[in-house]
Amino acid sequence: MITAGGRWVRADLRARRGQALLSVLAVAGIVTALITAATLLEDGTNPWRGLFERSHGAHVWIHTKDAPDVPALKALNGVTDLAGPYRSAPATLVDHGRRVPIALQETPAAFPAVARPLLREGRWLDPRRPDGVVVERSFARALGLRPGSPFTVTGLNGATHALVVSGLAESGDQGFYPEWTPGLAWTLSQTLSLVEPAPGRTETVTGLRLADPGYTDLVVQRAVMALRNQVQRVATWREVRASMELDNRLLGLLLALFGVAGLVAAALALANATGGRVLTQLRDIATLKSLGFTRGQVTRMLVAEHGTLGLLGIALGLLAGRLITAYALSDAVVVPLSPGPLVAIAAGTALVVLVAVWLPSWRGGRTPPIPAAPAAPPRGHLSRLARVALLVRLPPALVLGARDAFTRRTPALLTVTGVAIPMMMITIGLGCWATLDDFIRHPEKVGQAAALAVRPGDLTAEEARARAMADPDVVAAYPGAELDALVPWQTRTVRTRALGVSADPYPFPVAEGRMFADRGEAVAGQGLLDLLGVHIGDRVRMTIGGTPLIVRIVGRVVEPEQDGEVLSFGIDSLAAKDAMPPQFYSLVLRPGADPAEVRARLQARSLEVDQAVNPADRLAVIRVIIVALVVVLALIGLANLLTASALGLRDHVLDLAVLKAMGLTPRQVMATLVTGTGLPAMVGVLLGASAGAFLSRGLIDLEGRGSGVGAGIGRAPTPGMFAATVLIAIGAALLVVLIPARRAARAQVPVTAR
Amino acid sequence: MDTPVVKATNLVKIYQTGGLPVPAVRGIDLTVRAGEFVAIMGPSGSGKSTFIHMLGGLETRTSGEIWLDGKRADTLSESGWAVLRRQKVGFVFQFFNLVANMTVADNVELPALLGGVSPRQARERREYLLGELGLTERAAAAPAQLSGGEQQRVALARALANHPRLLLADEPTGNLDSRNTRDVLKLLGQVHRQGQTIVLVTHDARVASMADRVVSLLDGQIVDDGAIPRTRRRPSGTAGDVVELHG
Repeated sequence: MITAGGRWVRADLRARRGQALLSVLAVAGIVTALITAATLLEDGTNPWRGLFERSHGAHVWIHTKDAPDVPALKALNGVTDLAGPYRSAPATLVDHGRRVPIALQETPAAFPAVARPLLREGRWLDPRRPDGVVVERSFARALGLRPGSPFTVTGLNGATHALVVSGLAESGDQGFYPEWTPGLAWTLSQTLSLVEPAPGRTETVTGLRLADPGYTDLVVQRAVMALRNQVQRVATWREVRASMELDNRLLGLLLALFGVAGLVAAALALANATGGRVLTQLRDIATLKSLGFTRGQVTRMLVAEHGTLGLLGIALGLLAGRLITAYALSDAVVVPLSPGPLVAIAAGTALVVLVAVWLPSWRGGRTPPIPAAPAAPPRGHLSRLARVALLVRLPPALVLGARDAFTRRTPALLTVTGVAIPMMMITIGLGCWATLDDFIRHPEKVGQAAALAVRPGDLTAEEARARAMADPDVVAAYPGAELDALVPWQTRTVRTRALGVSADPYPFPVAEGRMFADRGEAVAGQGLLDLLGVHIGDRVRMTIGGTPLIVRIVGRVVEPEQDGEVLSFGIDSLAAKDAMPPQFYSLVLRPGADPAEVRARLQARSLEVDQAVNPADRLAVIRVIIVALVVVLALIGLANLLTASALGLRDHVLDLAVLKAMGLTPRQVMATLVTGTGLPAMVGVLLGASAGAFLSRGLIDLEGRGSGVGAGIGRAPTPGMFAATVLIAIGAALLVVLIPARRAARAQVPVTAR
Repeated sequence: MDTPVVKATNLVKIYQTGGLPVPAVRGIDLTVRAGEFVAIMGPSGSGKSTFIHMLGGLETRTSGEIWLDGKRADTLSESGWAVLRRQKVGFVFQFFNLVANMTVADNVELPALLGGVSPRQARERREYLLGELGLTERAAAAPAQLSGGEQQRVALARALANHPRLLLADEPTGNLDSRNTRDVLKLLGQVHRQGQTIVLVTHDARVASMADRVVSLLDGQIVDDGAIPRTRRRPSGTAGDVVELHG
């Protein structure tokens, strides 16, 4: 019995290879999107996770003046292993006239078991070559250092030592430069003693690896207690992770939205394909039943056939998802999705696929076993509208086709929906694209009115400001400071940004409420409001470097940094010790000025200049994803169209002879067929595109809100883009319908049933 | 006396069309013995197709009893009927109804596979049947590549694949030209001579004349049921030559 059904399935699949392939690809595309989304949402692309795992990192780093009581630390509950203690010394790297602060850290020549740096280029430290150092890779990249480059350092005593970069390594124990300063270089103990001979000027760092990272705060408290007053500073894995965070949340949310909507569309396409196939094969199914296939057997056979295509798609999607997260996102050191979500995605899609194919299969199983009964579409009269259309001499082919289009209600509805949903998602994708374009065109709307920031470095703040303002392209310079503030009741810090003075605030993009205008007023990103559970108008109390700060939040800004967990206020709201001198000046440039050029000019005046990274550049991968999704969604739409087209032809193959007998030319017959199938498709395209354009802004804002950036970033696709998409979609739809219609209209039509 | 292959007692079928009862078959009693060849004749709308569909379980009866091979069948579920069909009943239809996507060979092997025999046995049976019907070289062809007569011969082979106790033929020549009609009838005659029980529906008197017995239906009732006297049949003449006006 299995072989009998198997024969039929094999024969049927052979007869519709293209359609079957489309079904597989559509499901595969959706599963790939879901897996990529889940990986991004799961933080798999945060390089910290991969680095930390591979380097077997330490969760807590304790900085002490002298070597700490190692047995006491080791005895702490929850500590599994120790890294160090290592000596660490501050020094200055002299590089092309610049003086960059660095931290030299002692490390053994043999790789340690915990907090093992991951050598990426060159060689590791060698006791036979004590002048070699291994430099942290992001720091080396920022400075253009490579293995073999000279590494000239000046110790605190002023003595200069010519060292050489022997290798570059990565580590999960320190954030990337320049977010995490100073830059790190690993040296041998003897080299460190050479640069910093005075033992009083070094500090000791000890890493603790924990059994459960969730108990970090507890362990830190205990360690501080155990070491009494020795502890100078504690850094935990959370800060390192935060410093490496990309804007994955927004990306993941977007992908998840597309994935879920795409899954609905794919399920619909599968159901449509199965249903359409069942309808076109009613006679064959009836024949099978007359041969002795039971209802259940037919249903099982159809589920097996169409479900297998779906499951094949899922398998392919799982593979593609793995490959994409492994290769396409390889820059981000991705950790593959953990088994839980992976299984959930696979099982969830499998369930959706099976339900989608089961319903039409069940209907197919209920086909009466009399193969002679023709499955004709319900006949209807010409509607009044159609009569009027004929009276005013609209082309009869159009009128007849338009009438045909909606005689079978359910397939017509399925076609409209099947085209509309992918079209809607495509339009929303274009909305995302337009939003990114808007980020680039108007960086001031995402808080990047200032393209550059100068740090005084060796100069005094006033001097740095004067030098920056001397540049013709610099319009304004706002004094600023970025500090971490401790939030009450939270074991974590948030970023506070003091920028501009209350009387002359930096042009933050205020989305709700108003800009701060006085000392003690602040604006916040959505992420911060959500984190603290506060609203505009509420007061918040924080501690910055031991000094309490109480501000009233008067507005919400669009905040692309730090998942929106940033509080911004005027620098005059800060205590003087933190505000003076300003850490940096944010420079607003003349419109049209090239930030890179200005940066180069300022650097030539020995200023340290950072260029702001537009969120759109960081989110550039979204564009790749949008293109890929548009392709998948187009495939889904195409699958639906093919089904509709096959069904339309089947319904009308008998009418063709009648139409020809009535005197319609082949061209008119073709036009009738094209109208009959093309009309629901066109309706679907227009409905979907309008819904997408209508929803995209709100949806992107919703995503923005969810990701902490905040509402107010969403844009609808530009009119030109929108029109082009609609036209292309309609053109493609008509073309897909036209080819089989043309063939059918020219073919000799049998007058009897086949 | 052996059990009849088919026994229908007071069989009634009433269709509900738009709420109105439309009787198609109104109390037919019919018994077909093993090895018998019964032709059911009647004009369009006389209920002959409905009757034969009920005998094969393709349609449910409104009332009455159907006994197939000594077992009561009218009370079977749809699945029960399906299983019964695959074991005991072969169907031949007017429009051949070969599964379009499958080759001739697959079409003929399908019922055997469905009946649970091994693929090898199914292949052997198919080779034998197609050989008998002169279609060996068309085994790999698609049904659409065959002429009407060839398609009907394949359909016959498919109906015979499981050695059915009963062969039901619904206007098997209704869609064929006279030469193909002759060929198909010749084959039916051959099968019958090998002992196959056949119930055939037709409105063509020449076709009916092949049978041992002709049952005439009018308005869903039997109006005449008579055996064709052996003496008036040519023992081995071709079916198409026999012109027999009856009833």
